[in-house]
Amino acid sequence: MARLRATFWIYVTACVVLVHLVLLPALFYGMGYVIRESHEDLFVDHARTFSRVLADEFEVGVALDSQTRTEDLLDFAITHGGARYAELYEQGRSTRSVYGSPDIKTPRTTDLSFGQGGDDIYFVVRPIVHALHHAELRLGFDEQPTQERIQIALTRMFWLLAVYLGVAIAIAIILSHRLSRPIQRLQAVSRAISSGDYTRALNVTTGIRELHALAVDLEAMRHELVGVNDRLEAKIKEKEISEVRREELQKQLRHRQRLETVGTLASGVAHEINNVLVPIMLFTDTALQDLPPSSAPRANLERVLAAARRAKDIVKKILTFSRELGEAKLALIDLREVVAEALHLFSVLAPPTIEIRTEIDQSIPLVRADTTLAVHLLINLCTNAYQAMEGAKGTLTIGLKYQEQADEGRMPRPRIEFSVRDTGRGMDAATVERIFEPFFTTRSVGQGAGLGLSVVHGIVESFGASITVDSKLGVGTTFRIFFPAVDRLEIIRDPVALVV
Amino acid sequence: MQSILVVDDEPDVRDSVKYVLDRAGYSVRTVESAMDAFAELARNPTDLLITDIIMPQINGVEAIESIRKTYPSVRIIAISGGGNFGVTEYHPTAITTTAYLASAEKAGAHLVLTKPFESDELIRSVEKVLGVGHA
Repeated sequence: MARLRATFWIYVTACVVLVHLVLLPALFYGMGYVIRESHEDLFVDHARTFSRVLADEFEVGVALDSQTRTEDLLDFAITHGGARYAELYEQGRSTRSVYGSPDIKTPRTTDLSFGQGGDDIYFVVRPIVHALHHAELRLGFDEQPTQERIQIALTRMFWLLAVYLGVAIAIAIILSHRLSRPIQRLQAVSRAISSGDYTRALNVTTGIRELHALAVDLEAMRHELVGVNDRLEAKIKEKEISEVRREELQKQLRHRQRLETVGTLASGVAHEINNVLVPIMLFTDTALQDLPPSSAPRANLERVLAAARRAKDIVKKILTFSRELGEAKLALIDLREVVAEALHLFSVLAPPTIEIRTEIDQSIPLVRADTTLAVHLLINLCTNAYQAMEGAKGTLTIGLKYQEQADEGRMPRPRIEFSVRDTGRGMDAATVERIFEPFFTTRSVGQGAGLGLSVVHGIVESFGASITVDSKLGVGTTFRIFFPAVDRLEIIRDPVALVV
Repeated sequence: MQSILVVDDEPDVRDSVKYVLDRAGYSVRTVESAMDAFAELARNPTDLLITDIIMPQINGVEAIESIRKTYPSVRIIAISGGGNFGVTEYHPTAITTTAYLASAEKAGAHLVLTKPFESDELIRSVEKVLGVGHA
C-alpha cells in the first residue's frame, strides 16, 4: 500500500467499491434465497391447503359416486385452485382435468418439492379416506407464475443494490473530497513552513475532530514560529543597529582624535612659526626704513613683509582651529540675528547667479554662542557653498529649525538645526571624511590655505555644538550644525541672559 | 636713555627686538632665560622688561609675578606666539595665546603683545608703556 500513490479521494472511493464488490453479491444471494424461500413457502402452502380442502370435498361428499361431480371438482381445481393438472385415480380408473398442455412426462404418485421434476409443475398426491372408495387425488400446480415473481423480485433487488452502490460511491467521493480538502490545506501550510514561509495563515474549518485538532496544533506551531522568527529578526536588527551605531561612534571618535592630534600639532607649529616670523618682520621692516623709496631691493623686501603678514594670518587661523576659540565669549544669542547679519555681509560677496533662500522656523530658542564667531562661521560656510556652485546657477539655502524630537545624531534633544545647503558640485566620501582637517583643501594651490572648514569646526566645538556634513556628487552639500536648546531654568540662571 | 631688558629663549626674536629698539633710541640688553633676567635686573637699573611667556625652566608668567614684587617700578610687556605645548604644568586650561596673555596681564604685565608684530607696533607699545613721547 505504501507504493500506492493515489489521491486520497480515489483511494477512499476504491476502498468503498472494493468493500461493496465483496459484500453486495453475498447480500444479493442471501436476500435472493430469502425471497425464493418465502415465495416457495407461499406456493407450497397454497398447493397443500387447496389439495386438502379438495380431498375433504371428495371424502365427505358424494362426488366419488358421480362421474360428473368428480369432473366438476377437478375442473374447479383448474379454474380456481391454480392447478394445471388434476386427476382422481381409483383402482386403475383415472379421471383427469388438464389445463393447457403441460408437459408432464410421468404423472407422479408422490410429492415432489418445488422446482423438482424439471417441468415447472409441483405435484401434490393426497389419499382420499373413504369407506367405499380407495382413491388418490393427484394435483399438479403450475410453478411458472411464482418463478416469474421471484425473478421480478430478484431483478428489482439487483437494481436497488446497483442504485445503492452508485449512491455509496457518490457519497464516498464527496466525503473523501471534503476530508481531503483540509488535509491538503494543512499540507500546503506545513510545506510553506518547511520552506521558511510563516506568513500563511491556516484557515481550516472542518467538522472532523482529529483534523480540527491537527489544524489548531499546526496553527499554534506556526504562530510560535512566527513569534520566534519575529523575535530573531528583531534581535538581528537590533544588533545591526547597535553595530552601526558603534561604528558611527568609533568613526566620530577617530575623527575627533585625529582633529585633536592635528590641532595640537598645528598649535605647536604655529607657536614656532610665530617666533620665526618676529625677526623676519622686524628686520625686514627696519631694512625697508633704511632703503630709499625707489631702490630695487625695497620692492623685494616689501614682498617679504607681505608674505610674512600672510604667514601671520595663516598661523592665526591655525590657532583658531586649535581652540583659540575656547576663549569665545559665550552668551545667549538669537541665531536669526546671526543669519541676518551674515546675509547682509555675504550679499556683497555672492554673485547674482546664486539665489539665496532662508527656511527659518517662527520660534527659535536662544542658544549659547558668540555672535561674532557665529557670523564668521556662517560666512565661512556660505563662502564654501558659493565656491562649490561657482560658474553655475545655484541655490543657497540657510535653514533654522527647532527639533523637539531629534531622530539622529549625537546631539541630545531638544536642539536647533542650523543648516547651510548648496546645489553645487558635491563631494565624494573621501573628501567628506577629511573636510574638517586643517590644510585639507580641494581648491588648487594658491586659492586658499584650506583652513576654512577646520576653523568652522573649531568654532562649532567652542559653542558646545556639533557639525555634520552630507554631500552627494553633482547634487550638493548640506552642513548641519546642531545647537543644544537652552532650557528655561538656564536662561533664568544666566546673568548674561538677564542683560539680554 | 631708558633701558630695556628683553627676555626670550629664541635668539632671533631677542636680536630683532633689540635691533628695532636700539634704532628707536633705547638702551637694550637681552637675556635668554628668566634666571638670567633676575641677575641682569639685579646688576643694572631697568625701565622696561619685555618677556616671552613660554620659556624653559621658569616661564614668563612666573617671572612677571616675581619681578613685579621685587622691582615694582619696572614696566613689563609680555609677548607670546601661542601654542599649547609645555604649559600643562602650570596652567592646564590655558592653551591659547589669548589665555597666556591674559594670565600675563593678571600676573602684572602692563601690556601684552601677540607675536609676530611689526616694528611700528613694537615701538608704539613700548612708548605706550613707558609714556608717550619719551623717546
